[in-house]
Amino acid sequence: MAISVKVMKRPEAGRTSYMRATLKGMSLTLKHMVRPDSVTLEYPEEQPALHPRWRGTHRMEVHADGRPKCVACGLCPTVCPANCIRLVGGEDDQGNRYPIVYEIDEFRCIFCGMCQEVCPVEAIHVGRHFENAEYTRDRFVYDLDRLMEQDHATTLLWDPSDPRSE
Amino acid sequence: MPDNGRKPETVALTIDGREVVVPKGTSLLQAAAGAGIEVPHYCYHPGLSAPAQCRVCLVEVEGAPKLQPSCVTVAQDGQVVRTDSDEALEMRKGVFEFYLVNHPLDCPICDMSGECKLQDYVFAEGREHGRAHEPKRVFGRDDFGGDVLYYGDRCVMCTRCVRFMEEVAGDPRLTVVERGSRAVIDTFFDQGLEGASFAGNVVDICPVGALVSKEFLHKARAWDLDHTPSVCAGCSQGCNVELHTRDNLVQRLKPRENQEVNGHWMCDYGRESYEWINRPGRLESPQAGRGSRRKPTDWRDVLGRLHARLQELRGAEVIVIGSPLWPNEGLAALDALAQAAGQVSRRVFRSPRAQDEDPLPGFPLLIRRRDLAPNVDGAGLLGFDRDGSDVGEGGLDGVAAHDGILLVLGDELRDQSEEFGASAALFVYLGTHDSPAAANADFVLPVTNFAEQEGTFVNAQGRVQRFQQALRPPGTARPAWLVLGALAAALAGNGPPPSRADGAFAALVAAHPAFAGLDYDVLGVAGAPLADAGAATAAAAGQRAP
Repeated sequence: MAISVKVMKRPEAGRTSYMRATLKGMSLTLKHMVRPDSVTLEYPEEQPALHPRWRGTHRMEVHADGRPKCVACGLCPTVCPANCIRLVGGEDDQGNRYPIVYEIDEFRCIFCGMCQEVCPVEAIHVGRHFENAEYTRDRFVYDLDRLMEQDHATTLLWDPSDPRSE
Repeated sequence: MPDNGRKPETVALTIDGREVVVPKGTSLLQAAAGAGIEVPHYCYHPGLSAPAQCRVCLVEVEGAPKLQPSCVTVAQDGQVVRTDSDEALEMRKGVFEFYLVNHPLDCPICDMSGECKLQDYVFAEGREHGRAHEPKRVFGRDDFGGDVLYYGDRCVMCTRCVRFMEEVAGDPRLTVVERGSRAVIDTFFDQGLEGASFAGNVVDICPVGALVSKEFLHKARAWDLDHTPSVCAGCSQGCNVELHTRDNLVQRLKPRENQEVNGHWMCDYGRESYEWINRPGRLESPQAGRGSRRKPTDWRDVLGRLHARLQELRGAEVIVIGSPLWPNEGLAALDALAQAAGQVSRRVFRSPRAQDEDPLPGFPLLIRRRDLAPNVDGAGLLGFDRDGSDVGEGGLDGVAAHDGILLVLGDELRDQSEEFGASAALFVYLGTHDSPAAANADFVLPVTNFAEQEGTFVNAQGRVQRFQQALRPPGTARPAWLVLGALAAALAGNGPPPSRADGAFAALVAAHPAFAGLDYDVLGVAGAPLADAGAATAAAAGQRAP
């Protein structure tokens, strides 16, 4: 196929005025200055409203006496598709099974929420939270204490009043 | 059944619409199992008596006024049995609901979860939701001593453990205390299971998580383990076991049924003797050079140099030190290499021996033997003589001054000094771990232990038993038969070396008449006796005699 070149016909330089286009553009700009319905969110003074099913960094629920609710059943490291959970179970001095080591590599995590879905004791949750910045990379491996300290809202993976989405 | 030479009488019956022919006297449960139909059961165990008290094996028998417990109902000619009729399913559903009235349903923290029969049966046949609102009774747990922990809340009162201790172990230490919902299994006062050398079996036969192993407690989830058919390496009985592995480590041993060797059982000594398989600090690559000149290298280089060295020393006197922890294939290849290299003056192994045997009264075939290594009899058949003391040390007289070829497989030489093998013209050490006594070795070759390869052991009954590979070998470690077979074939110049375990076994059968007639595939996972098992073991026993 032969290549054809289309030549644009433009007014010669110096024979045209950009005044009309400039004024049109400025009028739009000035209109936005006075119109309040902008989509810009004044973050961080204003926080975005996260969806109830937003899946962010994890949080471990604790009992009233401060123990983690986790019983080290081993389901979350098994179900985790990214293999980001490390769990070593053990027994505390009262004979309760608990996680001696519970670590989540948040860099590896793909935030699918399956750990929360599979947890039989509702201990591990993904959170409605997104501000995860750290100064060092190793801070992104959350250990048990860190997971228990998190206090952000947890994700609602399903509507409690309609658990089967009926 | 009386064995009077006549054909055993059989009965033909129908189970779930299938025509089944079984020997006379078979229970309905066994007949159904033979046809591939599993009827739920707790109190019935093939190795124990059947008291028919758990009521979950109830099936419908045409003509019978009510449901029959299939574990004790004997199959009759022309019987029509329905294991899945509406009536039977409804009854079993009700029985499982009663079991769950007081069961804590703590599956997430229960060690049995994943292999629990209550879990399986309720999932298959039970109610979707419980209807009990009353609080459950709580017993807590009880330390039975030994390796056994008892969680009374989870118990279904099948009394398998009570009957095992009474009928098989011949040591009735467990009993049922109290009645009704207060019933628990208990020991007599504070006697416990401490010192009962077969008590670990009660953990295996417990259908739920009531009896668990302290050693395995919280170690791994049962559903997360890989199971590999293998042979226990604890003694020369060679109990058939499954290695349960996870993260490339052996987590526990469970007995595997073999009525010729161990029935359904195994001893606690064997059950606990697996840590050596997981021992870290393995040799991962071949090394060459004595003492400070030792350097890691690769297999191609090390085999080339070793071959050249063996060519130079051809015809020299060879002393071979083997280990009964290594399978027949490795020991036979070691012997073949030694014969190809020169004049074999001694083939020895050292292995610990216990003071006495430990038989299981209820299953006379199963004895924890004196030889605490799996292949003592195989090593004997392959021409190796026992050396050293009953702790597996000492002996090796004259080896220090030996100036020929010294081949060591598997023996770590813990009791030997750093001068060991200093005067040998060629010292080759094949093992899993480096050793101070191997400092003078010209070549240190990493080989796999039995769990990292497949192969065969010969047990004390003269039975050749196969095991399969359960673990990945570390680094470039290779099975001993592969390394030694390649060298032996290159030295003797007789065709390509075996590249697979079945080839190594075929080479062993061809070279050693004691193994004549055996076929690797025919051995299967149950093993097969040597053609002349009695004579072979007698010969091996004669060689072993101090």
